[in-house]
Amino acid sequence: MVSIKTSFTKMQEMLGKKVTIEELGYLLAFAKSEIAEYVEEEDMLVLDIKTSNRPDLWCAEGMAREIKGILGKEKKIPTYEVKSSNYKVVVDPKLASTRPYIACAVAKNINLTDYHIKQLMQLAEKIDQSYGRKRKRSSIGMYNLSMIKSPIQYKVIDESHEFVPLGYEEKMTLPEILEKHEKGQEFGDIVKGYRHYPILLSADGLTLSLPPVINSNDVGRITEKTTECLIEVTGTNYETVNVILNILCQTMVDHGSQIYSVEIEYPPEIREENDINPNLNIEELDIDIDVVNKYLGTEISMKDATELVEKRRFNCVSQNKPLLRVAIPPYRKDILHWVDVAEEIAIAMDLNKIGATKWKVLTTGSLLPETESENIVRDILLGTGGTELLTFTLTDPEILTKNVNLQDRKLIRIENPVSQTYSVLRDQIYPLLINVLSKNTHEAYPQTIFEVGEIAKITENSVITQTNAAFLHADADASFEDAHKWLDFLFRILQTSYKIEKSDHPSFIEGRCGKIIVNKKECGIIGEIAPEVLEENQIWVPIVGFEIELPLIPSLVCKVKETY
Amino acid sequence: MSKLEKHILLPTEAVEIYKTINKVKKISIKEIEKTSALDRGKLEYYLDFLVSNKLISRQSLVSHRILLTKEGKEAVKKQLIERRIVEILKKNKDVHFANLANLIGCDKKEMNAGIGLLKKEDLITIDKGTIILTKNDVEINADLQKVLENLSKNEKVDSKEFEPILLERNLVELVEVKDTILEMLVPYEDIKSKIKQASEISRLTPTMIRNGTWKDYKLKEYNLKVSPPAFYGGRKQPYAHFLDWVKRKLIGLGFHEMRGPMVELEFWNFDALFQAQDHSAREWSDVYRVANPAQGRLPKEDYVSLVQKVHEDGYDTGSKGWRYQWSPEKSARLVLRAHGTSVSARTLVNLPIPSKYFSISRCYRPDTVDATHLAEFNQVEGIVTDPSITFRDLLGILSTFATDVAETEDYMFKPDYYPFTEPSVELSVRDPDLGFIEFGGAGIFRPEVTRPFGIETPVIAWGLGIDRLYMVKNRITDIRELFSHKLEWLRSAGLA
Repeated sequence: MVSIKTSFTKMQEMLGKKVTIEELGYLLAFAKSEIAEYVEEEDMLVLDIKTSNRPDLWCAEGMAREIKGILGKEKKIPTYEVKSSNYKVVVDPKLASTRPYIACAVAKNINLTDYHIKQLMQLAEKIDQSYGRKRKRSSIGMYNLSMIKSPIQYKVIDESHEFVPLGYEEKMTLPEILEKHEKGQEFGDIVKGYRHYPILLSADGLTLSLPPVINSNDVGRITEKTTECLIEVTGTNYETVNVILNILCQTMVDHGSQIYSVEIEYPPEIREENDINPNLNIEELDIDIDVVNKYLGTEISMKDATELVEKRRFNCVSQNKPLLRVAIPPYRKDILHWVDVAEEIAIAMDLNKIGATKWKVLTTGSLLPETESENIVRDILLGTGGTELLTFTLTDPEILTKNVNLQDRKLIRIENPVSQTYSVLRDQIYPLLINVLSKNTHEAYPQTIFEVGEIAKITENSVITQTNAAFLHADADASFEDAHKWLDFLFRILQTSYKIEKSDHPSFIEGRCGKIIVNKKECGIIGEIAPEVLEENQIWVPIVGFEIELPLIPSLVCKVKETY
Repeated sequence: MSKLEKHILLPTEAVEIYKTINKVKKISIKEIEKTSALDRGKLEYYLDFLVSNKLISRQSLVSHRILLTKEGKEAVKKQLIERRIVEILKKNKDVHFANLANLIGCDKKEMNAGIGLLKKEDLITIDKGTIILTKNDVEINADLQKVLENLSKNEKVDSKEFEPILLERNLVELVEVKDTILEMLVPYEDIKSKIKQASEISRLTPTMIRNGTWKDYKLKEYNLKVSPPAFYGGRKQPYAHFLDWVKRKLIGLGFHEMRGPMVELEFWNFDALFQAQDHSAREWSDVYRVANPAQGRLPKEDYVSLVQKVHEDGYDTGSKGWRYQWSPEKSARLVLRAHGTSVSARTLVNLPIPSKYFSISRCYRPDTVDATHLAEFNQVEGIVTDPSITFRDLLGILSTFATDVAETEDYMFKPDYYPFTEPSVELSVRDPDLGFIEFGGAGIFRPEVTRPFGIETPVIAWGLGIDRLYMVKNRITDIRELFSHKLEWLRSAGLA
């Protein structure tokens, strides 16, 4: 999901139509967007865009382009004339293993206002961050063309090379930039990983930028006075770099500029042939209208389909019933399969008008037997008068160890927790219930609580998930007998015979704790909670209780589930 | 005299009070209260028996009592102001007006009142501001002072003569005293034989029932107005109860339950759902990685290599795929399930067709826990498949969820995006206060998802924001309350 800031006035301008804010909201839905915020006094609009694979939509021009298709104001792939700029970029073969691809174009009559520069920077930044995978996969640069001489060199350079980076006054060497400049600190790791420094130079030696880190302060600075600029995209994925250039060029054209082509001279180590950018080669895809109709549940004719795809800014290249050949705009790389075109058709039809049908498939529904078993245990424990709890499975290691007088043990730990509070998975439930009781010492006693829930454990061969039932009773008069009578009640209704054998457990009082044996296997623990635990948790009444593992109860059908 | 034919059953305590009243024939309730061990409440209770059986009568009486005011009490303590002035004048010659207040230690108003009084009695003259006693042995209002002093001692005082002036000078006030006078109507001796004394009891016992002795006792009335002792019975966690309801709704629509593990392989959470291995959603900030073990094992099944193929070149789906080298090591890494769709992915193995499935699963996201985010939450999702199923049926399924689960006819569809479905739709429902809110979404699984599992029919994947629904229905604004540890809420939250 991407958020962009734009202006309501600008949106209407780009749409060529006055709309109310509600109408705009309705139209934006067609472009998978919605209004997150609108501040009327500042004419500020924040849009949330749900797709991560449509960077062409991340500016007012792109959004308007899409909506004008829906409105029928424009259709088909937008085209524009491209003459040669007579600029060339020569790529260094040494970049083959690190950042080999570059796409460039020239834009003239760019009519920049301060607002427009901000919008371009926002678009570039959003693309760099997400589609460009934080500039690792691709990054964008824009330069003052009047200061650049052809051929531009995109090459590896020695670290002693110096230039004044954007926002600074003094020349810095490349390692200095990585260390001292904010962008160097943010993106320097990418360059450090290359073990060499890429650089973009004008033919006369002026520095354009250190890709993907920072532009120079002169050539790399765009202001309202700039009338012609060079747009550049470098990166590790050829397709990505070129589609981004196409998006930027289309955006500039929509704004009223003219695009001029740039030649990219690749060495054979990187690509067989040179490129002329922007690469506006149009990809085509065949769709079978009968298959699409079956998929959507519609009855669209070839003619309907043509109209609908044209609304989505596609071209219909040829028709050979039932095949329709569609051409995809060069600023989109998200159409992988005919189902993607089917979605475009559905959107063009308006999802609220296409007609929902009640599906006719008869199936019966049911809970899984293990869930039925869990519910039986819940119902029985409710019958003791206990209040049911739902606690988190992801918890604080202290709750599972220190707070219940247990040593640190092999718990399932998270590598990237946001805080210690949610950093391990529980392997037992009663510590979570003790935690609940510690937070309710001002509520009336007796406090009887239980939870039937999942736990996770590491075993020899795998990681397992299973359901446990834990039950605690806190009261001034609480004794082992209470826990025992309820356990007995539970097993009686489960028709399970059991034994309790003396056992020692650090959470429980010595001599007042037992392991629960069913079918000769230990399936749980019962006892009076040790005063050390009560003190640690600042609980001032005795607590008794038990925890049992449901997969070990024969009359239930709960199972242990292995992740692998 | 009332004629009583049958026995009168009276509690023992009531009989005792009857005898007391009988001795003196007339007594005030306050008098009885003094000598009885009972508090007023109980006393009234027993008197009720006597009054209702017409053995005594009760009458309210209002009388007045005279009480000292603050000023009166002060006059007792320090003497009446006029007497104080006289004392000072006796001791000091030539007392000036201006100095008198200081000497006395009172305010000017009070002093002037005293001066006025003495002047009226011709006991003083004022000459050029100097106050002079007219004769040496002046005595003023000694009797009035005595009455005040007697009143202060609560002695019986005949103060009638002095009352007007005491009242006028605000030294006393008249206080209304209410009392109840009880009068004997029927002498005890006359009715004694008809009285059956019974001890009052508060409980019936099995012995009494068995041998009929309950007839000898009177069972105390139960005070229906008293609040009962607090009882916290067994009850389901309110949010869990709601989830049970959701399950019933879905079963009623023909869905089978499916479940999966909390700790999941990236394979099921991402790869099988055609999410590219370099996709930003698989990053550090978007999914919890397990530290130990960090790696699991991929299933030894054909579908694993087919998933690899779709990622690399689209396999036979007609898709371009992601065009990269797919890493089995990355796919075997362990994460905490980020969405319920991983359960659906597992269910694609040997998927019965037609079928409808649902799951309610705990899912995990690395988010700072606050009023709108949890690190651990529930997701409701599932799949529907049949050879005949179409996109319009998908819209039909979503509309059924709107009407049957969100219980509203006012809903809307919007185009949406999920990496594993195409087309994708968002379902919004209208809340009377919040306007349209997102309730769920659905899409048809891309062929890159279903083909590796040998599925040729369309499979619809759907999901509902059930936590949101619960919060909206119960007007809860803080999502943390769903897993509340507060017994106060858990004990008393409503279920309807």
